[in-house]
Amino acid sequence: MVRGDSQVSEVLLSLDGVSRVFGDEVKVHALRDVSLDIRAGDFLSIVGPSGSGKSTLLGLLGVLDLPSSGAVRIQGTDMANLGDADRSRMRGGAIGFVFQQFHLIPHLTAVGNVETALLYRGLTAGKRHRRALDALEQVGLSSRSGHIPVQLSGGEQQRVAIARAIVTDPLMVLADEPTGALDSQNASNVMEIFADLQSPERAICVVTHDLGVAARTQRRITMLDGNIVADEHQDIDEGVR
Amino acid sequence: MLGPILGVAAIVSAIGINESSKGHLKAVLSDLGTDLIVANAQGSLGGFGSDPRIPEDAAARVTRLPDVESVTGTLQMADIVTLPFEEAEDFYRAFPVPVIATGLNLPETLEVLLASGRFLNDFDVSTAARVVVIGRDLADEYGYLRGEARTIQLNGIDYGVVGVLDYVLLEPSMDSAVFLTFANAEEDLGLDSRDPSRLYIRAPTNTKLVAQEVPTVISLGGPDGANTSVPTDLLDAQSQVDENLNNLTKMMGGLALIVGGVGIANVMSISVIQRSTEIGIRRALGHSRGTIAVQFLLEALVVGVLGGILGAAAGAGVVWLTAELRGYVMVLSVVGLVGWAMLSVAVAVVAGLYPSTKAARLEPLETLRLG
Repeated sequence: MVRGDSQVSEVLLSLDGVSRVFGDEVKVHALRDVSLDIRAGDFLSIVGPSGSGKSTLLGLLGVLDLPSSGAVRIQGTDMANLGDADRSRMRGGAIGFVFQQFHLIPHLTAVGNVETALLYRGLTAGKRHRRALDALEQVGLSSRSGHIPVQLSGGEQQRVAIARAIVTDPLMVLADEPTGALDSQNASNVMEIFADLQSPERAICVVTHDLGVAARTQRRITMLDGNIVADEHQDIDEGVR
Repeated sequence: MLGPILGVAAIVSAIGINESSKGHLKAVLSDLGTDLIVANAQGSLGGFGSDPRIPEDAAARVTRLPDVESVTGTLQMADIVTLPFEEAEDFYRAFPVPVIATGLNLPETLEVLLASGRFLNDFDVSTAARVVVIGRDLADEYGYLRGEARTIQLNGIDYGVVGVLDYVLLEPSMDSAVFLTFANAEEDLGLDSRDPSRLYIRAPTNTKLVAQEVPTVISLGGPDGANTSVPTDLLDAQSQVDENLNNLTKMMGGLALIVGGVGIANVMSISVIQRSTEIGIRRALGHSRGTIAVQFLLEALVVGVLGGILGAAAGAGVVWLTAELRGYVMVLSVVGLVGWAMLSVAVAVVAGLYPSTKAARLEPLETLRLG
């Protein structure tokens, strides 16, 4: 395992001896005693075959789920100690999600979709709109802000989703198979945007089973049967997708 | 949204029509006075085999009761062919016009005015003048013009029309009748005596007591001679029936509201399923379970408010239309309107509780299909 400069950076999110068991009568151990630190500035990928526990790990990293045992901490705060409202607030502030199927709200425009991430934060409608437009500009889509999802191509929809993920200026962008529904050109563009979004204060985590996508990240975590079997730093391969 | 609209509209219109009709009835009752008694002959009086009658002297005894202001005897005659003009003979033989022999003070006792002309009087009796007064509907049917010199035939004898009696609210059958004196009825139409079959008695004080006394005064303690009723009591009973009908309408309105509420819950539950991905996205974006529940409750609230407003407006419209058509004065409480609209809101919110809770409990991991 190769450890780089990220060791000295702040730990944004940590999993400490986390297990996740589903089912009451027939128990399925989706994660077994997993520990992981994600630091500011990390650009990492999580890879593994189907059933390896990637989705479960993603749910826990995104605070959409709680572990059966062990602790998930965001900047040192154990998520199990928070109520739903506080945990939701923490999720909304610290994590930006990007999904494989984009998951845009069909009846809202691009800018409207981006604005949904800024609701209930005490911002005026004008401020929400300006910040949403800024985020769309960051992903090169300001000219398409008034279009609804069906009027956008797959690559554009994914860029709207990325704008929605970064508009809150989260500590970590968590992307679930972000290139899975895109052609190679759009997939490459999306990965370039992720590379551009990388900063010393923010981590970017891409869950994928596409090794080409994983090759474009600096750190690769490999999962198998609910365990992390490899956590390695790598040189970015610009040539692969 | 149709459920709350129909429910509120039904309740508002039932209450509004009831109130307006009650207001109308009160006005009618106050116009008529509640002191008129009707005594009908019955039993053995008048002799075996003939229609029961009240002896003329018995009617005179009723007049002398202390609380009685005026008494008028009437007798509806049978088998009289009445013709406004000769060409119509076949029609009027098939549909005879009621002919009533009456005392001279009928308008005073019934407190009804003449629409035109005059009523029958002593002069007519003393001179045996062949004159009649006709009811308001009959005058319309005959095309009788005010002040017109017109005759009608009773069993082939010409009678001059001297007046038109205005509408008699308590005895609508009189509106299409012909009135003549007992003297004429005896002379021309073969009436055997001047005994009436019915007495109209105006008793401004102790009305109910007088109504109880009259049968005894008529029969002098003998077998039943007459029964009495106070027509305004019948109107009251009628209003009671109306109220029962309105209660039924209110209950049906309530039922419509409940069904509407179930409809809202049903539609919203389907909406929660359809929008489960959206709920998952919002949860991922940091919206709490409470926020999601409030969002769906607000949607139910909007349905309830709109349903309430539209329903109250529709109900008020129905009340207005009914009042216009029936000639009532529209009575509708604004506070009541707001109250029933609020009921719609309450029903919608209660109906929205289940789907809202369901939406809040959705697990984002299940709805977003990660990985």
